[in-house]
Amino acid sequence: MTWIHYPIFVYITTFLWLMGLLMALYDQSRMYRIFRDILLMTGTATIILFSILLWHSLERPPFRTLAETRLWYSIFTAIIGLVIFYRWKMKWMLAYALVMAIVFLFINYFKPDTFDKTLMPALQSPWFIPHVIVYIIGYALLAVSSLIGIKGLYLLYKGKLVDKSIWLADNVVYIGFAFLTFGLLFGALWAKEAWGHYWTWDPKETWAFITWLVYLLYIHFRIRKRKSVKAALWILALAFVALLICWFGINYLPSAQSSVHVYSS
Amino acid sequence: MEKKVTKRGFGQHPWGYPESFTIAFSTLILGFIIQAFTGTGVSLPGWPVNIIIAAIFILYIFLIHRFVKHPVVKWFSSPQAAIAAISVFTILVLLMGFIPQRQAEAPEFLRLSGLNFITRSWAYLMTALLLLIILGFTIIRRFLPITVKNMAFFLNHAGLWIVIVAASLGSADLWRLSLPVEEGGVSFTAYDVNNKAYRLPFAVKLIDFEIEEYSPRLGLMRNSDGTLKMKKGDKLFEVEKGKEGMLDQFKLFVVNYYENSRKDSLRYDTSSMVGAAPAALVVAIDTREKDTVLGWISSGSFNVSPSYLPLNREVSLAMISPSPEKYSSKIRIFETMEEYHDFTVEVNKPVKFSGWKIYQVGYNERMGKWSNYSILELVKDPWLPVVYIGIFMILAGSLYLVWMGRAKKMEEK
Ligand code: HEM
Repeated sequence: MTWIHYPIFVYITTFLWLMGLLMALYDQSRMYRIFRDILLMTGTATIILFSILLWHSLERPPFRTLAETRLWYSIFTAIIGLVIFYRWKMKWMLAYALVMAIVFLFINYFKPDTFDKTLMPALQSPWFIPHVIVYIIGYALLAVSSLIGIKGLYLLYKGKLVDKSIWLADNVVYIGFAFLTFGLLFGALWAKEAWGHYWTWDPKETWAFITWLVYLLYIHFRIRKRKSVKAALWILALAFVALLICWFGINYLPSAQSSVHVYSS
Repeated sequence: MEKKVTKRGFGQHPWGYPESFTIAFSTLILGFIIQAFTGTGVSLPGWPVNIIIAAIFILYIFLIHRFVKHPVVKWFSSPQAAIAAISVFTILVLLMGFIPQRQAEAPEFLRLSGLNFITRSWAYLMTALLLLIILGFTIIRRFLPITVKNMAFFLNHAGLWIVIVAASLGSADLWRLSLPVEEGGVSFTAYDVNNKAYRLPFAVKLIDFEIEEYSPRLGLMRNSDGTLKMKKGDKLFEVEKGKEGMLDQFKLFVVNYYENSRKDSLRYDTSSMVGAAPAALVVAIDTREKDTVLGWISSGSFNVSPSYLPLNREVSLAMISPSPEKYSSKIRIFETMEEYHDFTVEVNKPVKFSGWKIYQVGYNERMGKWSNYSILELVKDPWLPVVYIGIFMILAGSLYLVWMGRAKKMEEK
């Protein structure tokens, strides 16, 4: 089993995932749900089967080339999405994770070797993929928590009840925060392997840490002040600004001119 | 039951947000003042003073928690105190996010307040200390009873406490030395950041330094100023013999390609000379103007000059020097003249040797794959295992957060 057989697996997985997703979005009865589970599980199993067979035929773990690592991107993203979906019933998270996983599968399909081909040596590490995946998931969840926060603020100004919004926001923040923590710590463990120091206050690290701190504030603020919903929602909106700076704005900051995370040629 | 609402004056117990923020901000300002008076960065004490400080710190928090029955002790483990301390700490890190650090020429007020070397400033030390004290009291108060929820709480908070304490106190015991070695040469002198030389208890010989490179790529260069005409994320054309492709309106075909070559009158030929550069014979067809040019191009190296292929009045075809795919050093470490061990050190693959970790960090970049030396880094970090324990505690505690989320359901409130 080699890359020659890849397309057929991609088709099957994509089809099963999309059907399962469709059923998840419109789930109505028990039968529906069982069917949905079968579709999602078989889809995931198919692509895992491919990597096992690939492993077998290569006679080495398929962790070396970009195409191989991207395969793992896809599988882990899907699994994290499924776990969060089954635990938290977040349909949007399932949709997000599966669509992202499918995109990775298809990048492999169309351009197995392009896209970041010239990876600099420090980036060629088994830590690279987990580090990026958990960050992407963390950012996605936290971004959604901020959207919930903004919706909550809107409802609040309309004089409506926001208990459900804030409860949802709390949970999404907890999960997203945990993934952000994974991202920071994986980054630290990796940096130790690559450069010999786990934390250097590189601007990107600093901003990721600021983002982490603001969500930490939110979590602790929610412990006692259950009634100050408005302030909590504002913290969420504020945290989003830090998140955006960390994600996009970092290249434009005067403090970031020597960041190892700003890649330019 | 009716809740009695009485207005609590500032300073009256139990303390809330006003007192918490006053204390946190006072700590910060006190830090700035001490900084302005002392003028230099803080250097933390090394072994064994650091472990004694840590022990006394833990003991103090424990004893105070156990025996002092004052409302202030309770305040120390309150969410309000935590929020104020985290806020002020966040403000300091936020400043770090905007102000370039370690700049030699910083304005006077930055240097006075320590804002251009925040992590070594008094303000940072004091606010971090406040954070650690509050965190410490919180951990002790919530340690018992042992339930799953409290365990997760403990893992997160104690893990963080351990990471911060071990990383800060350990920084004084951290050795980071740079060791340059010439190919074929032996070295036992390493240098710290201040270029102070240290004699190592062993000698390192660089047997071989190797670089594997990606293929060079082709790009369009503006004739006017020699800059590349491309946007971030633009695809470049990778050179390979027989390859075809498009770059803007030019259709390219690589007729011939030598990885190592030298110019020989008008054409290029393979060469094993030091500094031989990649070169390619390329046909470029201008699909708009229906023009065809053929010629050799080369990225050049430190030893040979590059050549370009002019395509029209505005642009030329240029070869971009290959970037390194991986580089590594084969080294032999001598404990004595007779006793030695061989290693290969590669980026992301450090090797361990008698308490040191040896990293591949650099080489002569001007000479690229012909580099005649390698720069290794020797790191000794005795507190690292402690930091790792803290990190793994937080990882475990965070897994609980993913699974449980905000534990209390809305209905239960
Ligand atoms: C890894 C970082 C941290 C995480 C994941 C975290 C998480 C949490 C969580 C989930 C709670 C709620 C516990 C509950 O409701 O029973 C909590 C409570 C608390 N945390 Fe943190 N926290 C972190 C760091 C900190 C820091 C840095 C401080 C203080 C400087 C702090 C102080 C507190 C306090 C005072 C409480 C209230 C405890 C209580 O009232 O019983 N935490 N934390």
